[in-house]
Amino acid sequence: MFTNPTFMFIQVMNSFALGMNLFIIAAGLTLIFGVLRVVNFAHGAFYMVGAYVLMTATNLMGDTNTGFFVGVVAAALVMGVIAFFIERFLLSHLYDKEHLLQLLFTFALVLIFKDLVKMVWGPLQHSISYPPAFKGAVNLRISYYPAYMLFLSVVGPILAIGLWLALEKTRWGRLIRAARLDREMLSALGTDVKLVFSAVFVFGSMLAAMGGALAAPRIAVDPGMDGLIIIDCFIIVIIGGLGSLWGSFVGALILSTLTVFGTLIFHEWEIVLVYIMMLVVLLIRPWGLFGHPDEERH
Amino acid sequence: MVKMFRNRTFATAAAMVMASGMAYAEETIKVGILMPISGGGASYGVPLVEGVKMAVDEINAAGGVDGMKIEYFVRDSQLKPDVAVAAARELITKEGVDVMVGAVSSGATLAISELAKQEKVALLAPAAKAAALTSTKLHPYIFQLAATTDSEGRQMAEALTTIGAKKICVSGFDYAYSYDLFESLEKNLADGMEIVDTFHVKLGTTDYSAVISQLMGSDCDTVAGAVWGGGFIAYMKQAGPFGIFDTKKLVWAAEVGSSEMAGALKGDYPEGMWAAAYDLWYFEGSDAHKKFQADLAVLEGTNETKMYPVTTYIAIQFIAEAVRKAGSADPQEIAKALVGLSVETPLGTRTIDPDNHRTNTGEFWGPMVTVEGSEAKQMSPATYLE
Repeated sequence: MFTNPTFMFIQVMNSFALGMNLFIIAAGLTLIFGVLRVVNFAHGAFYMVGAYVLMTATNLMGDTNTGFFVGVVAAALVMGVIAFFIERFLLSHLYDKEHLLQLLFTFALVLIFKDLVKMVWGPLQHSISYPPAFKGAVNLRISYYPAYMLFLSVVGPILAIGLWLALEKTRWGRLIRAARLDREMLSALGTDVKLVFSAVFVFGSMLAAMGGALAAPRIAVDPGMDGLIIIDCFIIVIIGGLGSLWGSFVGALILSTLTVFGTLIFHEWEIVLVYIMMLVVLLIRPWGLFGHPDEERH
Repeated sequence: MVKMFRNRTFATAAAMVMASGMAYAEETIKVGILMPISGGGASYGVPLVEGVKMAVDEINAAGGVDGMKIEYFVRDSQLKPDVAVAAARELITKEGVDVMVGAVSSGATLAISELAKQEKVALLAPAAKAAALTSTKLHPYIFQLAATTDSEGRQMAEALTTIGAKKICVSGFDYAYSYDLFESLEKNLADGMEIVDTFHVKLGTTDYSAVISQLMGSDCDTVAGAVWGGGFIAYMKQAGPFGIFDTKKLVWAAEVGSSEMAGALKGDYPEGMWAAAYDLWYFEGSDAHKKFQADLAVLEGTNETKMYPVTTYIAIQFIAEAVRKAGSADPQEIAKALVGLSVETPLGTRTIDPDNHRTNTGEFWGPMVTVEGSEAKQMSPATYLE
């Protein structure tokens, strides 16, 4: 099996596509943690909201390309608005409080969103069609490969580079990086730190929703989908380093590769494999592969 | 003072008499329902509770069981054994339920079955299929109304014979249900048929790309699957683009022939795949079945009703019949009366085997095909296998 180049090629492609989908979601979590220092348990719930908003959009506009892409954008926008209100009216009051309160707050959000989703969209499982443009398979000469997986493999890196450029080259990016390093100093220099926090929380949550919408056609949309993804996200962010964009990129690829190849090689050990990897990283570099030792203290 | 005291005594006595009289007139059969009604399991739990509601409303509207009304208490078992046990304990000690119905997953059901044994309160399992429930873990208070992996494996072998499968790949979640099912399947395979490869995935995974590529590389002609729920949806969605439905035949257990699954996947449901279901709203059947479907359609507000309500509807029918036979709602009497009991259900006569506490629950099997005027695929022709 492993000597078959076509088979190996497909598995590598599978790992990459899955990793890119995970990266989009985890990037939002790491960004929020990096700046706000809040571990957002509700990130998975936001991912779930994204998938459901896409479902509503495709129900309204039909299983068309327009329906799908408008739906993905709508997922991010709807979640962005919800996140704005959550941050402004609730979360922002907890920044000065102890971490435990913040954890309890985001955990409460998980429970609230689970019930809200069930009330709005019902308890049943749903499936969202692939957009017609990426429905079938593409001939890569070596083998046929699902078009939607290729689409994810392209969107991920574009988003990663876009995010990196935005953080490195724009004024907002500089403010966000400054807020990560020293929020008091930034505030003293006359920047509205509250606004930066708001923007980061909104943007991070939008990434979760977008990731959920992009994942939706490959999986079942149901009120339990948040639980699975949040564990993956935490693993990625811990391996990659809390707060690091490239860390979550690499962390996502490590997790997806372990998932895909773990299933093949150490079938019984697949679940453990990921945790062993996390343990090794935590023992050698407690701040994660791309994290900064300073981050650990917070 | 004396007068006041006397009055108060009289009033208290009167109140006590009235209260006991009311209790007598309103003696109820208390049924504890343990189902996952939050999270991912809600897609099972909510329809299962619907079936309970339907049966209870029907029985109470007709005057109850020998004058006793049925009262039910729903608790969230969340697909988690520990949560299910805590909820069951609360139902027994606080609500004082006389009998329980639950849960969905075999793990949670095995856990509350232990409690049922300790507390001597009967548990009717309408959905959990692990054979262990009524074989190695059998006790006087557990009754398995769901099909078991023993019968399901036998039915699956029959379906595989019908479509002419020779070399079979099996694929399921990596846990007890799949092992038991495929073990039973292997035992029942006809000569000339064999399982050539096994591709299991971890329970609850959402990415199936690795096993799908493995399936593509195997030389089996048929895939016998047992991944259920959201996993089945994800499996089919991810397998579709690889073209696996064009090269291999598919036979799938775990009730994925339900209208819930067909309704969710719509056009992405593989054409011609053989699947199983406890009930089909478009199957006409007996008058009792027609009436059941008509009532369920009213409750759900659609003709395309869900599959699971019938299983708990039958569970309540068994409870009512057991109370009638026992002449009391005493938990131990109910448990005794359930042994060997027969009930006329919308799906024919069901009898609890006195030896193993299982029922003769059959399932519909057949290919899922496109039907004019329906977005969801339907099983046609559907054959009822016991």
